[in-house]
Amino acid sequence: MKNRALIFDIRRFSMHDGAGIRTTIFFKGCPLHCIWCQNPEGIEKNARLVHFPAKCILCNYCIKLKDNAVTMENNKIIIDTSKVIDAAEYEYICPSGALRMDSKYYSSDELMTIVKKDMPFFKYGGGVTLSGGEPFFQADFIIKFLEKLQLAGIYTAVETSFFAVWEKIEQALPFIDTLFVDFKIYDNGKHKKYTNMDNILIKNNIKKVLQSKYSNKVIIRTPLIPKYTATKENLSLIAETLAKWNKNVNYELLNYNPLARAKYQHVAYDYCFVEDKPLYTQAEMNSFYSIIKEAGIKNFR
Amino acid sequence: MESLSRQKRINLLKERMLRQKRYMSIEQALITTRIYQENEEKPVIIKRALALKAALQEMEIAIEPEELIVGNRTKGVRYGVVSPESGGLWIDKELETLPTRSQDKFNVKGADIKTYREVIKPYWQGKSLEDILKDKFGEEFSAISKVAKINQTDHSQGHICPDCDLWLQMGPEQIKQQAQQKLQSENLTNKQQNFYKAIIITMDGAQIFMHRYSELLKQMAAENTQYKKNLLEMADICGFIANNAPESFHQAVQSLWFLFVILQMESNASSFSPGRMDRYLYLFYKRDIDKGSLDKEKALTIIECLWLKFNQIVYMRNTNSAKYFAGFPIGFNIAIGGLDENGNAAENDLSYMFLQAQEDLGLPQPNLSVRLNKNTSQNLLEKSIAVVAKGSGMPQFFNDEAVVDTMIESLQIAPKDALDYAIVGCVELTTQGNNLGWSDAAMFNLNKALELAMNHGKCLLTGRQMGLDIGGLDTYDSFEELENAFAGQIDYFMGKMIKACAEVEQGHMDLLPSPFLSAVIDDCMEKGLDVTAGGAHYNLSGIQIIQAANIADSMAVLYQLIYKEKRITGTEMLTALQKNFQGYPVIKAMVENKVAKYGNDVKWVDNIAVKWAQYFREKLTHYKNHRGGLYHTGMYTVSAHVPMGENVGATPDGRLAEQPLADGGMSPVYGRDAAGPTAVLQSVGRLDNNLTSNGGLLNMKFLPEFFATEQGIKKFAMFLRTFVDLKIPHIQFNVLHKEDLQEAKKNPEKYRSLTVRVAGYTAYFTELDGKLQDEIIARTQYDAV
Repeated sequence: MKNRALIFDIRRFSMHDGAGIRTTIFFKGCPLHCIWCQNPEGIEKNARLVHFPAKCILCNYCIKLKDNAVTMENNKIIIDTSKVIDAAEYEYICPSGALRMDSKYYSSDELMTIVKKDMPFFKYGGGVTLSGGEPFFQADFIIKFLEKLQLAGIYTAVETSFFAVWEKIEQALPFIDTLFVDFKIYDNGKHKKYTNMDNILIKNNIKKVLQSKYSNKVIIRTPLIPKYTATKENLSLIAETLAKWNKNVNYELLNYNPLARAKYQHVAYDYCFVEDKPLYTQAEMNSFYSIIKEAGIKNFR
Repeated sequence: MESLSRQKRINLLKERMLRQKRYMSIEQALITTRIYQENEEKPVIIKRALALKAALQEMEIAIEPEELIVGNRTKGVRYGVVSPESGGLWIDKELETLPTRSQDKFNVKGADIKTYREVIKPYWQGKSLEDILKDKFGEEFSAISKVAKINQTDHSQGHICPDCDLWLQMGPEQIKQQAQQKLQSENLTNKQQNFYKAIIITMDGAQIFMHRYSELLKQMAAENTQYKKNLLEMADICGFIANNAPESFHQAVQSLWFLFVILQMESNASSFSPGRMDRYLYLFYKRDIDKGSLDKEKALTIIECLWLKFNQIVYMRNTNSAKYFAGFPIGFNIAIGGLDENGNAAENDLSYMFLQAQEDLGLPQPNLSVRLNKNTSQNLLEKSIAVVAKGSGMPQFFNDEAVVDTMIESLQIAPKDALDYAIVGCVELTTQGNNLGWSDAAMFNLNKALELAMNHGKCLLTGRQMGLDIGGLDTYDSFEELENAFAGQIDYFMGKMIKACAEVEQGHMDLLPSPFLSAVIDDCMEKGLDVTAGGAHYNLSGIQIIQAANIADSMAVLYQLIYKEKRITGTEMLTALQKNFQGYPVIKAMVENKVAKYGNDVKWVDNIAVKWAQYFREKLTHYKNHRGGLYHTGMYTVSAHVPMGENVGATPDGRLAEQPLADGGMSPVYGRDAAGPTAVLQSVGRLDNNLTSNGGLLNMKFLPEFFATEQGIKKFAMFLRTFVDLKIPHIQFNVLHKEDLQEAKKNPEKYRSLTVRVAGYTAYFTELDGKLQDEIIARTQYDAV
């Protein structure tokens, strides 16, 4: 599937993933597994047949298919993924859309056709954002795709964890207009504990990009997760380090997204909070920003 | 006035106005009845003129001492005026229920019920427009009403932009003189003589009316020390404009308001629109500002006083009509921005002040519209969006790039008039001061016609034979056969609709000539012909196409599932529809989930909407209206998608029997626009502009958080720039309130497309669990107005 990418969502009219009105493409598969992940359906690297009970009308059409991959016990649909021969057949046969592939393969031409639909909007400053999952998880595809986008005159942005091979990043950089990079946790031990991977590669990549000629199109972001990333210690360590690497670094704090929890009913993982955490208030956000400011960062949003 | 700040004055007047109870008023009805009785032998147009003059002389009037704009058609504000000459029947039936009906209640005084039944009703029985149409054509109209609903059967003509410029340049005295001169011409027919005489009578009345206000103001000044100066100034203004054309800005605005009050007294109709007020008032404004006799703060105060006035006249409709047009909209539509006579983008101080007034007052009237084009300034665009963000749903946006050329090409309107177009009612397009657009002649329910084509001409709800039996889903072997039957039902009902429209127009000519209105509509004075008889320069009739979105979704289902994929048979579908999908959950699920829907930028589905709307539009061109003008089409329903839906059985798109159709007119069906707002615009952009030359309506709902930041407003500006490029005629944004979201929580199927956006994350509101929905509701800061 080299020439095709596995995509779990495409959203037109994205308002918060870069300048203007954008189409955001969510690439499936991520090397990290953050316990607060807001798109947990994007972690797994393979396409899966999933069942949405809320939509199911219990018509039994799916359990009659020959491969017997889907069974029903106590009015509950159970999918044995290993037995599925033709997942598309399940999608077709299901009248309610309750059985769905959680992602689909697209060629870059197919993706171009979709994103070009909104060219009349991009004209006024929007474009295409690659997000995920981790877009660099399908690096060879995105490098070529980004080049294609740029050739078509479309302004490009990428949202990445930067857990990626530097050479691939380097190849993609010329075709990226805005690069959003997450710097979640400074301490390596904690990073490993909460994201399942250590952050040495990430830090190295951030340092390299901030000291490259591309530094001005990079925006470093820290998602504020109560207890895990939104601590004074973590934020000041991140900010000091960034300021040391490049005093003109662009930096942004992302408010906690309490809605992330909504998606966990459809995946096999647990969300990091059982209780509901509210959004940070403007006052709390301001005090986080003052930590950043104190650490020497000038360009923040 | 020095002692009262703008804010204080406006809030005080606003609160006092909103505190007043709404009553039904028969004061003018009594005067009209008396005049008709005293002048039985005179021609109708003279009786109408005399009745208006008598009302202008006799109706009680009242003034608030803080007002900078005075005048109303009744002493109390927001009274529901009874006009027995147009609609008698419904009033009698609804006298007891007006105070308690579900929509648009009015209090009724016990004595008025008695007077109405003893004095007014006996005289008008069998004489009003409604009675006569009902006696002559009632059965004919009701036989077709579920497909073609004929309008204008119980009230005078509105939805008109008078020639405000002419009124301000001449004033009632000069108009009267012009009519007197015309009356001296040789070879006038009797009809023409009566027409000019009637104008003279009504202009006399207008002058008397203004003088009465001047006198009352003087009286009040004698007793009121606090506002003495204010009252005397207002007395001068009213006295001056009774005899002269206005000179100052304040005089001009006051004169304009009297024009609209008197138009409403003559016709009691829905929507007389001021149109492009920022254009024709600007000369007065600029002159006073340059002279130093007016400052911006005073100008804004005058404007806001006028804005309050627009809310003091409401339109009392019958119960059924109130369902179609809820909230007694009277449709004072004001269009700002747009193009000048050379085709350049136009805006001035007044455009911004009108937006400011809308922002400050947040009241339902006027219906404020912004005309956008490629060269609209970023400033005007962003200011307009900022006002939308306040949550009143206004202003709405119109697109010069979609409208001007269409008017020229498909309605043969002169370029200078098309450049100067304005809006009447809700979204209906018109030229200014020279057009009887008859924009709401009828509503044609394509979905009912499709139902009849699927079911052998029989109504799914009652089983009654309503249309032709051309066949049914159980007999058609191909999609083409179905399409032919659909076309056949449309043709059948169109013929009947046209005949009915002509009968209604004749009724207006016979019974409701309108000389005062005719005096401010070009070419009536020139021709000596009343506006109802075809005196206007343009004589159009608009038919609304109801609703292309459901047609596209239904036809797409029929085509794909029955004829292409053959997953279900025609007979199965017909039975499912007859059973309202009861016992057919799989078919219901399939039609909802397995076929693409209009509004998602899926070309083949969108093109079905275009195809049938065009079929309808093209067929209409074979007819002319009773005044010799063109028929054309609109795609808007305001709130009529609800009652129109009540007439239609289950539809192949999965809609259950009697449920609402798509709202708006160009909008996708509720909640089916899953691909987001840009896809909606692309889909709607596929509708050719000639389909909406009478007006189109695209309604889009957003969470307030989209507008919460400066960035959000800039992004909406980009969105609207593309809206202009895509040549879509109209768009309005509904910023959802807390109540809407609570409703979305309860009825998710209607709000399926509502998205919540966070960086790198997207989800549908209705797919969040209850607690998270509450979280968003808590974040929603706008309460219902």
